[in-house]
Parts: sequence; structure tokens; C-alpha cells
Amino acid sequence: MSDWPEGYGKRILEEVDSTLDEAARIAPELAGPEWILAKRQTKGRGRRGRDWKDPKGNFAAALVLRPSEAPNVVALRSFVAALAVADACEALTGQSARISLKWPNDVLLNGGKLSGILLESAGQGAGVTHLAVGIGVNLIETPMKEWLEPGAVWPVSLLSETGVQVTPEGFLTELAAAYARYELQFTTYGFEPIRKAWLARAAKLGEVITARTASSETEGTFETVDEEGNLVLNSAKGRITIPAADIFF
Amino acid sequence: MLPKRHYVRANPEPAEDTLRTEMTDKTHEADVAFIKALAELLRENDLTELEVKRDYSEDDSLNVRVSRQMMAAAAPVQVAVPAAAAPVAAAAAPVAAAAPAAEAAADPASHPGAVTSPMVGTVYLAPEPGAASFISVGQQVSEGDTLLIVEAMKTMNHIPAPKSGTVKRILVEDGAAVEFGSPLAIIE
Repeated sequence: MSDWPEGYGKRILEEVDSTLDEAARIAPELAGPEWILAKRQTKGRGRRGRDWKDPKGNFAAALVLRPSEAPNVVALRSFVAALAVADACEALTGQSARISLKWPNDVLLNGGKLSGILLESAGQGAGVTHLAVGIGVNLIETPMKEWLEPGAVWPVSLLSETGVQVTPEGFLTELAAAYARYELQFTTYGFEPIRKAWLARAAKLGEVITARTASSETEGTFETVDEEGNLVLNSAKGRITIPAADIFF
Repeated sequence: MLPKRHYVRANPEPAEDTLRTEMTDKTHEADVAFIKALAELLRENDLTELEVKRDYSEDDSLNVRVSRQMMAAAAPVQVAVPAAAAPVAAAAAPVAAAAPAAEAAADPASHPGAVTSPMVGTVYLAPEPGAASFISVGQQVSEGDTLLIVEAMKTMNHIPAPKSGTVKRILVEDGAAVEFGSPLAIIE
């Protein structure tokens, strides 16, 4: 069991609408980074307004930061967070080979979706006022399949795949410790070590995947993630870099 | 979203019959000049539509409606990439010829009220698909209000209004790809 990282605050709520909304509310008064763990979320959110269901016992938290970098650099914490979740899962289960990452920040276990991460920031020009990193992990239960979008990666839980039962509080401690390590690496050495660590665990690298946006769909070979965090696909139209999309295998 | 409309009704004194006969030849030329002037007025005041009715006599009148396409949310426009290549505000019928072509040359990024993208990503005009847009043209916004979202790598960056004012133009389409520095909206 890791120690709670120095310099990070923690608050545990019995119930909240959404940890991301709570993050935005408390951000102005925070002096340093703070984790918010919710035992229950009544309005958990996924990307583009999708519901994020978290049955009791699953992990729902947000980390609130007030980073000083430009918004495009702040956004790279998507990868920092994914690595931290992967490390926490490995530390708790002792299994690393079965954990992989789907661009930009889904954590997969045995190829199924174990975790979802959504970041929200507000800012223009030089910086952001705050960044909230929302993290959901299926510790115990998987969402019912009728909540899934067609083509979405099948959900799995830590318990169902590994037999290991972890409490949200226990998971938070491992996650916070792992996050603090990667955050320090990121702010000290920049994105490159994060990028390398992420690519080492990337799912479907070198294979054909599909990137879907609101307006287009691109199929191509997953070549790499570039220095700015973009997904790089080798498609029929040539080399394409994609800053935002849903990925389908 | 309601377009901003200004109606002008001009009612000059009915012309004398004798004068009318002399004027007939010149009517067409005068009308063209009048329409051109209206188009200029439209552009200068950043209006969407202008409608004027001139009553020359009881059974002789001129009805003119000039309108142009603003870079509204619904307009299918390409985003400027890079920022220097300004998006074209298309001059719409019915007086396309008279509408100012100069509009195309104006670079919205250099507009003092322009809000530009702080990052490469995808623009969303609404918090989620199917929801109402954060802003519409003509709407009043307060400093800090979210105008739209730019997403990169699952980071939803809310773009706040840099100052209080009126939304003059929305320069991007929902779901469009934007570059760093791309003009997103104009607030005045």
C-alpha cells in the first residue's frame, strides 16, 4: 500500500452530482491539488454528455489542479492520468501484462474497458483557471450493456477480471500516489517520458483502428502518438494527426 | 437563433407626374445605386438583413431586401486554417452582385473583439449533442461565460468570454476542427 502523496488534499463525499462539477465549484478556493472522491454520483458524466454510470462500490473521483501551462499542454494530463490509473491497477492486482491503454486515456483490462477519464478545463489565451481530471473505474460492477454505445469497448470490472476486490478509498490512495509520480515527471521533464511510457502500453499500436469525430471517420494504421499528444494514423489519404476523436478497434 | 433584422421604411413625397416621366430612364440606374448603398450599409453595420420599401406613388413602389450570410452556427463553413486564410462570409441572394466582396478580405482573427482558439482541437457549440448552444448571435454575454468548448485528447476546454458584450458573430461550426489561433467568435 502506497502512502498518501505529500502536497495533495483529499475530500471524501457521500454523494455528489458529479465530481467534475464539484471540482469546478471548489477550484477557486484551492491552494493546491485536491482529490475529490464520491461514494455516489447522481449525475456522472462521460464525453459529450454521455451518462457515466457508477454502481455502488465503483470508483468515481476528480483531481482538481490549477496548472500554469498553456491549454494545449494542460490537455496532455489525459495521458498522465491514464498511466496513473494503469499503475494503480497493477499495484493492486499484481498484473501488468493484461492492462493496456486506448488513445487517449481509456484503461483496458483484458481488452475490456475498465476505466473512463474525462478532463475539463476553462481558459483562453495564456492559461486555464483550473483543470479537473474526472476518473471512473469499474472496481466491482460493470455498467449494464444497454447503456453501451454500439461499437464501444466491452466494459469489465477489476473484480470480474482479476478477482481482486478494492474499496474506492483504497484505490484512491494507490491512484493518488501514482498520479503524483507521473505529475512530477511531467512538470519536470515534459511530455516525452509520459509519451514513451504511454506508447509502451498502447493497445492496437501498428494495427488498423478507426477514429470517429462528429463530422468524419478515418481508418488507418495506428502509427504513434506525436509530441503534442495527437493520434497519428497512416490512412489511405496519407499520414493524419488527430487531436480529438472516439477510437474504435 | 433569430437573425438581426432592421426594417427601414422610406416614404418620400409622391413625385409630380411630369417629373416621373423624365425620371423613367434614370429609374433603373438610381435603383441599382440605391441597392448598392443598402448593401454597403448592411456590411458597415454588421447586419444580417435589411429591408426597405420606397413608395414613389400609390401604385409604384420599390421593395428591396438585402441579406447576407453571417458565420452563424448553422452555416456550413470551413474553418480558417491557418488563421490568416479568413473564412468567407458569403454574400447571399437576392443582391449578391451588390453585396460587398470586400467582406471576404476582412480577417476575423485581427478583429479587436475576436476570441481565438488557445489550442488545436474540435469545437463544440453546445455542452452535449442536441443541447442548446452556449451562445447565439445577438446574445449578451458576461465576462467568464462559456462561449464554446474546444476538445483535445478528451480534455474539454471551456472558452470563456474575455469581456462582457454582445455576440456579433460565431465563426465556427459545431464539430469543426480548429487550429491554434483560429477565430471562434466575435464579442463586442
